[in-house]
Amino acid sequence: MSGLQAHGVVRSYGPTPALRGVSLDVAEGEIVAVTGPSGCGKSTLLHCLAGILRPDVGEVHWRGERIDTWPEAARSRLRRTEFGVLFQFGQLVPELTAAENVALPLLLAGTGRRGAGRAAREWLDRLGVAHLADVRPGAMSGGQQQRCATARALVTGPRVLFADEPTGALDTLGGEEVLTRLVHLAREQGTTIVLVTHEPRIAAYADREVMLRDGVVDPTGLGLDEPLVPVAGPGAVAR
Amino acid sequence: MSTSHVLLGLLAAGSQHGYELKRAHDTRLPRAKPLAFGQVYATLGRLQRDGLVVSAGQEREAGPDRTAYTLTDQGRAALTGWLAAVEPPMPYVTSALFTKVAVALLVADLNAARSYLVAQARAHTERLRELTAVKTAPASSLADVVAVDYVIAHLDADLRWLRTTLARVADWHREVHP
Amino acid sequence: MTPVVALRLALAGNRTDTVRVVLTALSAALAALAALAALTVLAVPTPPGGRGVNNAEQYSNALLREPGLRGGTAVALLLLAVPVLALAGQCVRLGAPARDRRLAAFRLAGATPGQVAALVAVEAGLAGLLGTLVGLGTYLAGRVLLHRPDGRGLLPLPTDVLPSPSAIAAVVLGLPVLAGLAGVVLLRRVTATPLGVVRRVRRERPPGPWAGLLIAAGVAAYGLLVPVGRWYAARDQDPPAVLEPLLMLGGGLAALVGVVVGTGWLSHTAGRLLHRWGRGPATLLAARRLTADPWAGSRTLAALLAAVIVGAGAAGLRASMLADMTANRAIGQSFAASDDFYLNTMDLVDRAVQVAVALAAGGLVVALVEGIVARRRTYAALVASGVPRSVIGRSVAWQALAPAVPATVLALAVGLLLTWTTGGRPRSYGGQTAQVCPGDAAGCADPSALRTVWVPESVVTPELPWGQLAGVGATALAAVLVTVGVGLLFLRTSTAVEELRTG
Repeated sequence: MSGLQAHGVVRSYGPTPALRGVSLDVAEGEIVAVTGPSGCGKSTLLHCLAGILRPDVGEVHWRGERIDTWPEAARSRLRRTEFGVLFQFGQLVPELTAAENVALPLLLAGTGRRGAGRAAREWLDRLGVAHLADVRPGAMSGGQQQRCATARALVTGPRVLFADEPTGALDTLGGEEVLTRLVHLAREQGTTIVLVTHEPRIAAYADREVMLRDGVVDPTGLGLDEPLVPVAGPGAVAR
Repeated sequence: MSTSHVLLGLLAAGSQHGYELKRAHDTRLPRAKPLAFGQVYATLGRLQRDGLVVSAGQEREAGPDRTAYTLTDQGRAALTGWLAAVEPPMPYVTSALFTKVAVALLVADLNAARSYLVAQARAHTERLRELTAVKTAPASSLADVVAVDYVIAHLDADLRWLRTTLARVADWHREVHP
Repeated sequence: MTPVVALRLALAGNRTDTVRVVLTALSAALAALAALAALTVLAVPTPPGGRGVNNAEQYSNALLREPGLRGGTAVALLLLAVPVLALAGQCVRLGAPARDRRLAAFRLAGATPGQVAALVAVEAGLAGLLGTLVGLGTYLAGRVLLHRPDGRGLLPLPTDVLPSPSAIAAVVLGLPVLAGLAGVVLLRRVTATPLGVVRRVRRERPPGPWAGLLIAAGVAAYGLLVPVGRWYAARDQDPPAVLEPLLMLGGGLAALVGVVVGTGWLSHTAGRLLHRWGRGPATLLAARRLTADPWAGSRTLAALLAAVIVGAGAAGLRASMLADMTANRAIGQSFAASDDFYLNTMDLVDRAVQVAVALAAGGLVVALVEGIVARRRTYAALVASGVPRSVIGRSVAWQALAPAVPATVLALAVGLLLTWTTGGRPRSYGGQTAQVCPGDAAGCADPSALRTVWVPESVVTPELPWGQLAGVGATALAAVLVTVGVGLLFLRTSTAVEELRTG
């Protein structure tokens, strides 16, 4: 079995259920958008898939192995080797320069200072922010910070990238540039992406869209209250 | 969109003949509906009649397709005027989507209107994904990206409208059939 | 804004705010206790009469009995309030980001800067008042409970006198006012703008060389004490009464400020060295934070360093006293009772230093926890991306210890130097006859038992108090270590994935 699977994942915050039994199958190299209105549990699903949170009930599998039962140390190692994460904002260490921020995961993996620094600059260059290598996050725009964060998420060559509203804090152009480069690089390296967003336009970057509603997958994909009897399928669209 | 103004714009750089004009049109406006030769010549004929272009002589081989055209001063003025004029921002609600839902509610039941909205939303989403893929493809030029972006923005707006209308269509139906 | 509204808004906070209020009240209570104790000592009446007959004989402790020592005792008690106030200063920063946002929201809702400042003052002032009232209660209860005359009717503590009502009122009401004012001053940047808190980014500026100058000036002031005395003695004059206290106070302050400023330089240098030579992400994180804000170290360590300076100075003083006693014994002028008195007093000073270190450690915990909590989003994102908590923990430890170790050594050296410039010189004695008594105390009562002997001239060199210095340093560093340990407990909650929710 390859790829990433969730089976019947349930997760609550105290008495509030965030996920009420979600199953999802993501093939390797696939880009899947998880969408839905705010509070539908999409971030929680991402956290469970990435091994940041453990589901209360249900299982998460990566390449055939059940990872949600792994101890925190093992899941940490998985997250910094095979997984990468990208959040909306605030993930760069403010005291470190862009290059140092990007080099951080490599240093953790035991790469030498020089090698990590070189790789970091290379990735900053790929994301078009090579000129910011020695600048601290505080002196950058939101889009520049997000590109650095993207470089940091990709520098270890992860197999899966988890992105939680990566463009949420950016203007349209800034968001598009980040996503275009991200998707381009992911396709180039065969990286799987799980992309959480509430915008159809961002979800369109994915190969497939999974919509959550009140903690479960919405089969209609449109937030309908009741299933429809289709009278005109997509094939009957007027030209 | 006015084909005649596009041709005037293409001629502003210097005189060209019909075949060149068609090629330039298809390169400069990627993903627009390709221009048919017949339409090029018909338009050029009209422009010549109105004095906006003149034929600037023929090349060695005779034949109507080797006639080169040049912009007249009058043509240049018409082009400048068109470029400066602001397009009226959607003076009427003329969308086929809107019309179709309104008519569906009149003649059919709520479910039909809703099914149409769902099918349309799916088709829009599919098209949105296709065009977004063009943007992330390595071979795409900036002209491609700009052209595709225009459509993406409109599809995105349509999709938002489809989704909100889907949420409101039951109330709308009650308003139409009290 | 009516007082009731102000009260309601001032108390509208989350759990961290409650903790801050409790801690502020606690430090106010401690400070009030210290101030009341000092005032009580000063309130002991001095019977009429000259030196030697004006002792307050109702006390068993010479520190209280002798008018000449009471002033120093009161000052020492007041000085205990310094680390308490440093602790209070740290407490104000606790939960600051959340409160800043809350206050900014008040400003957005239309509150004037003055009204927001008033809210802050009301909150801090009320907490302070609560604290001073608790302090007053504790003081009054303690007066009754500790009023234990011994067999001869002598009191161990001045539980028979009360400071004047106006003095008590000044402490109980004055400290809350001070707390309120301090709160307003510390928040002046927040109250200025309704658009959240825009903290100025500190310039990365390594502290200048004047730490060294200040330390040198402080040590020189103490070094001047003896030559100045001699200069006046040579002219058969007494030095002006304020000169010596001024030199000691000024010198001590200069040395303290010098050490604290020097800690900024040490932090920055430690950060640079760590960045240059450190391996791994933990040292990189610590190094960058140290160079980004070198003053954080001096701010948080100031109280601890003050205690270390006093402790090291006391160690030097004790060594000097021991040398004096050796010399005196050799020439037969020793009085075991007075030796014990001085050594007991030094024990008290040492105890006070330990209390001060403990209080300073409390301030350190607050500062460290605040630093971690303020960065919880970044830390949570790092943990989410697979950075082990232990790496973050190590970086926090590095960041605390890298400046603390050299700063403690510096403070030890400066503290010792202050007293060692005069106290550390070799004493020469002898070259004279002395009367010694070969028998026991009863035999010595008979003058005929005394023998006159020739004491040859010799020299006593005070021994450097390595053991005690090491003790003070170890206590301080142990306090820092415990602090780091407590801070790391907060790391787990501060890196929870809930911190990543974008809301």
